[in-house]
Amino acid sequence: MSSIVQVIIGGLLQGGVFAIVALGFSLVFRVTNVVNLSQGAFCVLGAMGMYYFQVVFDWPILLAAIAAVVCSTAFSLVVGAVSFVPAVSRLPNSSTLVLTAGLLTFFIGITLVVWGNQPYALPPFSGETPLVIGGLRIPTQGVWLVGVSAAIILGLWLLLQKTTLGRALRACAENPAAARLMGINLPRMMLLSFGLAALIGSVGGVLIAPVMSLQFDTGQFFTISGFVAVAIGGIGSFVGSIVGGILLGIAEQFAAFYVSSLFANTLALLLLLVVLILRPAGLFSSGPLRRSDVRDEARVHRALVRLPGHRALIFAVVLVAVLVLLPVMPIPSGLLPSLVISLILFIAVLGLDLLMGYAGQVSLGHAGFMAIGGYCAAILSTSFGWPPLLGVIAALVLSVFCALLLALATGQLRGLYLALATLAFGLLIDSLIVGLVDVTGGPSGLVGIPAFEVAGFAFDTPVRMYYLALTLSVVLVLALEGGMRLGFGRALKAVRSDQLAAAALGVNVRRVKVVALCISAALASLSGSLYAFSFHFLSPEMVGTTRSFEMLAMLVLGGEGTLIGGFFGSLMLTLLPTLVQDLAVFKTAVEGALLVVIFLLMPEGLFGRLVLWLNTVPLYGTKIARAGAR
Amino acid sequence: MAEYGSIIWDQDRARGGKMTPALECRSVSKIFGGLLAVDDVSLTVPSGSLCALIGPNGAGKTTLFNVATNLYAPSSGEVRFFGKKATGLSAPHIAALGVIRTFQTARVFPGMTTIENVMAGAHLHIRAPVISQMLWTHAARREERRLIEKAAALLDMIGLGNSCDVAATDLPIGAQKLIEVVRALMANPKLLLLDEPAAGLNDHETAELAVFLRATRDAGTSILVVEHNMSFVMGVADQVFVLDAGRLIASGAPQEIQQDQTVIEAYLGAPEGQTR
Repeated sequence: MSSIVQVIIGGLLQGGVFAIVALGFSLVFRVTNVVNLSQGAFCVLGAMGMYYFQVVFDWPILLAAIAAVVCSTAFSLVVGAVSFVPAVSRLPNSSTLVLTAGLLTFFIGITLVVWGNQPYALPPFSGETPLVIGGLRIPTQGVWLVGVSAAIILGLWLLLQKTTLGRALRACAENPAAARLMGINLPRMMLLSFGLAALIGSVGGVLIAPVMSLQFDTGQFFTISGFVAVAIGGIGSFVGSIVGGILLGIAEQFAAFYVSSLFANTLALLLLLVVLILRPAGLFSSGPLRRSDVRDEARVHRALVRLPGHRALIFAVVLVAVLVLLPVMPIPSGLLPSLVISLILFIAVLGLDLLMGYAGQVSLGHAGFMAIGGYCAAILSTSFGWPPLLGVIAALVLSVFCALLLALATGQLRGLYLALATLAFGLLIDSLIVGLVDVTGGPSGLVGIPAFEVAGFAFDTPVRMYYLALTLSVVLVLALEGGMRLGFGRALKAVRSDQLAAAALGVNVRRVKVVALCISAALASLSGSLYAFSFHFLSPEMVGTTRSFEMLAMLVLGGEGTLIGGFFGSLMLTLLPTLVQDLAVFKTAVEGALLVVIFLLMPEGLFGRLVLWLNTVPLYGTKIARAGAR
Repeated sequence: MAEYGSIIWDQDRARGGKMTPALECRSVSKIFGGLLAVDDVSLTVPSGSLCALIGPNGAGKTTLFNVATNLYAPSSGEVRFFGKKATGLSAPHIAALGVIRTFQTARVFPGMTTIENVMAGAHLHIRAPVISQMLWTHAARREERRLIEKAAALLDMIGLGNSCDVAATDLPIGAQKLIEVVRALMANPKLLLLDEPAAGLNDHETAELAVFLRATRDAGTSILVVEHNMSFVMGVADQVFVLDAGRLIASGAPQEIQQDQTVIEAYLGAPEGQTR
């Protein structure tokens, strides 16, 4: 009995942390209608700052805590002012969501550069001796945590409900246009909510630092847990955030205590999926949810990236010729394996482009499908002796089946829900891989994967693998281009920008989205299989959430909705760290920053910019052709 | 406009079902909270006619429209298209019945060129399955060429032939509204429901739209227009329905409506000392 109570107390403590992160999510969502995925990073910034002032500078606890919170909030405010605020007023919601994923990556990268990759732990505020009440041991830091959380919640409630400033903040969420007409400075309010969220997050981080060991990428864990918590509780509802956080904490502690700590995540994610299916808006939904799936009319303008017939043909021939000849040209020896990886990842990014660039649906867990593809094919061929090709096909079937289940679970697949469900899905797969040690090799990875082989021909050298990946990429690009330029592509683009108008023309919005999701899942799965066969090794972090975010960065960098764009993105992000080995530590920060900067300054991406430039190059013998030629 | 009918309409379809009305509303009511937005309205749009639904602001015209296309479920009553009960059908289902609607605000698809926008209207008539589109089959490409020709011809007809490859959102509002009408026509509708197509159009464009709609009717498409622009309605409609405060207060030929005392009162208010 007392062990149950002890587990619940542990759950409450952990849940308190999640609740604080969830509160930050809720606050920003209420004002801007955007889920700010960088929320978890604020905690880590606060905690790292605390370490700096308390341990390195040896300041007293209170002073160190204040300094840490002030510094990390100030830093976040500066970053928010130049990235988040302009993005909210300029970009469609789905892009802003991805941009905040970029911010998270950027913060993680900065933490890695400044504090390195070792874990940090701080002494508790009031010593190590726990409070003992009626035989139950309560860590003193927990009392601090609960007390300060309560104070934060009360303060927030007072601010939003009882002050003019709070009313202005709420007005921004209800009706931004009217709020602006009433003289409310919208960007300032958005920045204010971002700053408040950073403040709450860093206070939370300072409080948590003594009870859990933190390292540079813990922010991702906080973001995900907090996001799951708000999803359970209901986004935009403060009560929901708190209840969701605590439920999640208790669920994880129970799973860790009664099943295995390896499965702690699995249970929590199942809880989330159940809530998503039974109550899509969360336990405490705050009024009718906004249509986050339809892009706001004012913010959908995008440059038309079109290369007219002749130019496209010339460009494609030149590009393919260069790629075909590359292996026989004098290139540095380490380059070819990197090219193989870029091409393999490009196949997955291609699928992501279909889903995000064309259908406008964000997937934050696309690596989950890669994981299914990789592990399924690898396990079937190592442990069961299946021919690799059969393994790849079995993995494809399984991935598409999972995509269908996911579609079923998320009903209409509306914007935020798909993002959330795919994130949960990616994590679920990840936790299953980590948990099922006997089958998958667990955290240390699966070794001894054979080379890919078709009818006795083994793709066991980088050159062979390169040509395999290149052929597949070219075929897939051609096939998708065929679909995208005809009716299917038009239906996807119509759904992306205006579901209601699309449906009125007879487009079955749901079916179109499900087809897009299935195709993109299949491509990710194929990419995952090839990845495993190419490395002869697969570990969970190679196909984890970081990979999902990286693929988003590749897509945005190359150019959404262009198919080819993803190749340039994947090439750049794969080659950069290998070319500049010494700067590898900056990789994560640069990736995040690139994603944010490209979104803000070059929304058409590298390839889009290239196309716009190519269109201005004079070409003898051709006029700029009309697509509507008669 | 002589060749017009052959562009948009396969004639054999036009002759079927002349007798069943295109749209039939039977005692349709819609209540929002306590507000009776549409109050027991019954009206019939005969097949092959061009009807107009008019009324002062807030009369419930757009609500009736949205109920008919099942964007909102009616509180009571039922809607039939060509004799088929439509209550409870989803938007794609209604479109599949041959009933295509447009929206009050211009809703062209951003990120697509003008001609792509128009071609998107033909979604229901694309026969080539996704897989054959992906394989660049001959059939899929031939179908695409036909769509391009048809869309370009329609755009030429409303004077937007030179804007085919421009981003649709870059065009002025008037042109965007015309694109929406043409996009709806690409779906080969049997019944076209237009929500204020002339709003935002200049006089020249309005006159062109009137000619265009009459030609569409002559080609066999039934049309119901919600409109504010009186001269447009009186010039184009076969039959006019007048809504006021959610109720149908008059219906008939344009000339009759112009003389109708109740209608004049609804628009201008009752003369001094009299109440309706």
